[in-house]
Amino acid sequence: MPIDSRNIIKPFIEEKGGLMPALHALQDHLGFISKDNIKELAIAFNFSQAEVIDVITFYDDFRLAPIGKNIIKICQAEACQSQNCKQLLSDLTSYFGLEMDETSDDLNITLKEVFCLGNCAVGPSVMINDTVIGEATTKKIVSHLKENDVQEL
Amino acid sequence: MKNIIKIFIPNETSANSVGANSLYQDISKLINDENIEIIRNGSWGAFWLEPFIEIKKDGIRRGASYRNIKLSHLNTIEEFFLDFEKRNPFDINEIDFIKKQNRIVFSRIGHEDPLNIKYYKNSKGYQSLLTALEIGPQKTINRIKESGLNGRGGAAFPTGIKMQTVFDQDTSVKYLACNADEGDGGTFSDRLIMESDPFALIEGMTIAAYAVGASKGYIYLRSEYPLAKEFLIRAIDIALDNNYLGNNIQNSNFNFDIELRIGAGSYVCGEETAMMESIEGRRGLVRSKPPLPAINGLFGQPTLINNVVTLATIPALLLNDQSDFSQIGSNKSIGTMPFQLSGNVNHGGLIETRFDISLNEIVKDFGYGTKSGQPIHAIQIGGPLGIYLSSSMLDTSLTIESLQELKGSVGHGGIIVFDNSVDMAEQAKFAMEFCVKESCGKCTPCRIGSVRGVEIIERLQKNKTSKNDATLLHDLCETLEATSLCAMGGMTPNPIHSIIKFFPNELIEK
Repeated sequence: MPIDSRNIIKPFIEEKGGLMPALHALQDHLGFISKDNIKELAIAFNFSQAEVIDVITFYDDFRLAPIGKNIIKICQAEACQSQNCKQLLSDLTSYFGLEMDETSDDLNITLKEVFCLGNCAVGPSVMINDTVIGEATTKKIVSHLKENDVQEL
Repeated sequence: MKNIIKIFIPNETSANSVGANSLYQDISKLINDENIEIIRNGSWGAFWLEPFIEIKKDGIRRGASYRNIKLSHLNTIEEFFLDFEKRNPFDINEIDFIKKQNRIVFSRIGHEDPLNIKYYKNSKGYQSLLTALEIGPQKTINRIKESGLNGRGGAAFPTGIKMQTVFDQDTSVKYLACNADEGDGGTFSDRLIMESDPFALIEGMTIAAYAVGASKGYIYLRSEYPLAKEFLIRAIDIALDNNYLGNNIQNSNFNFDIELRIGAGSYVCGEETAMMESIEGRRGLVRSKPPLPAINGLFGQPTLINNVVTLATIPALLLNDQSDFSQIGSNKSIGTMPFQLSGNVNHGGLIETRFDISLNEIVKDFGYGTKSGQPIHAIQIGGPLGIYLSSSMLDTSLTIESLQELKGSVGHGGIIVFDNSVDMAEQAKFAMEFCVKESCGKCTPCRIGSVRGVEIIERLQKNKTSKNDATLLHDLCETLEATSLCAMGGMTPNPIHSIIKFFPNELIEK
């Protein structure tokens, strides 16, 4: 049975400032915020659709189209800069054949920049979905992806 | 009594990021004896040792670093114990990195399971809340004023005065908002509290809310901290179950709830007015001040806003031996500061110490020099809005006052070491690039000026002697400083000024 997005939104309607948690919940369940979702959110929170889009597009985390199953965020903040994170970023872009913010055709991988994961003493750091990898190398990242793929099968 | 052997394997982002979770899985598979117990403790903050596994046996607790070590080949727990002994285990409290610190706010991290409320209570936890409920709001605020605590989020505003302002507002609805949007590159003290001692934050929030008369608190947590989110959700539940949150807390007539709100990847939402906009469900655009949030804040009501470490410090101020904290330091630099050492350094981690420590002590005595073995070239202090100091400035004291003299700030306490491979013109360009990416867009100089700033610095990278571009950059920085509503635009020039001044000829040649 498909998930009814209106049921996802419902618990947040009465909450003060409930739009942000509603957006998170929608995206956690559905992967992105669709045009239909925007209409539903506008009605639920008594905003115009433009106002809802306004909020979605301000924040890096929210997206209007599906992206990769594995979101790889490569830290480019100062502590990781001192640990050659720029080199790591360019290694990863060439390994996956993707640019920043680009998603692979099979919707498996998306590469993104991030500024600080709070893992600064063991950088360079990369976050794959909710897992942070310290002293990151292309090899470590690829083997993490492989291990998790195996677990899913 | 049975002789139980305890194995401590940290469950904390940095430890997990270098393998603690998989070591936990490997070791737990080996255990078939009820006298052996695994505890997922917090991290001690000595991150170069992580994953740091400890064993407590016959009252003695020793640990060893398992960095880059796999244990999947082991067949029995005895084999693990043998392996452990071969690694020359030691008591972490005996190493200089820990011994030389003055841990007051971070006194509990590392010892136990962070969600073990019994341990929390046995180690002075929740005594201060009971004290506050006994002495009442005004006396609680007085104690915080007397302590000399200034906010640890970056602006170093006196915490007690802020609380008094909220307390003095004559309205029935007030809020507390904990700023857990720790976005500065090179900082992790808030994360470490939330993951390794979450009850300290919850107790601090409860005391602060009681003191100012707030019955609802928000924690605005950045989305980059999923493990902290997990710990906070569970700690809030445990506090509710034990009547440390909810209605009639500890049989008083005080009610207080905490709601966790997750950010969505915006640095500027760590600015307090942008954070309020975000909690209210809008774009994180900064608001002009006045009105102060303490008078007209969240949802139009008086709101106390503090960052995680500030709130987690409050319980320490109400203990009988609070003088521990207040008697350290002078002027504005009172108490301890959790410095966070990272970058190109051998021993990175959390260093809670007095403010008037020298940069040299931090980088050499605690940090043990650069990881690459190359000479230090630059040290960034206070995050992306802080300053870069050169290797000839290592005798700088890290007090609020001495960094102010250098036109910098302690900020949130991040210290990042760079060796001589760093290109300071690139670092200057990054300061502007970061502003391009993270500006909320409200003020024109910040939104557009930062783009022009990147362009000017790119031209200077090609021709360091261009007088025209040097003047333009100077004027642009002045405009940003004078006309931005918040610190994002107003302080973005700080790192650039410091590079021009302390690294002559590296960005601009005269």
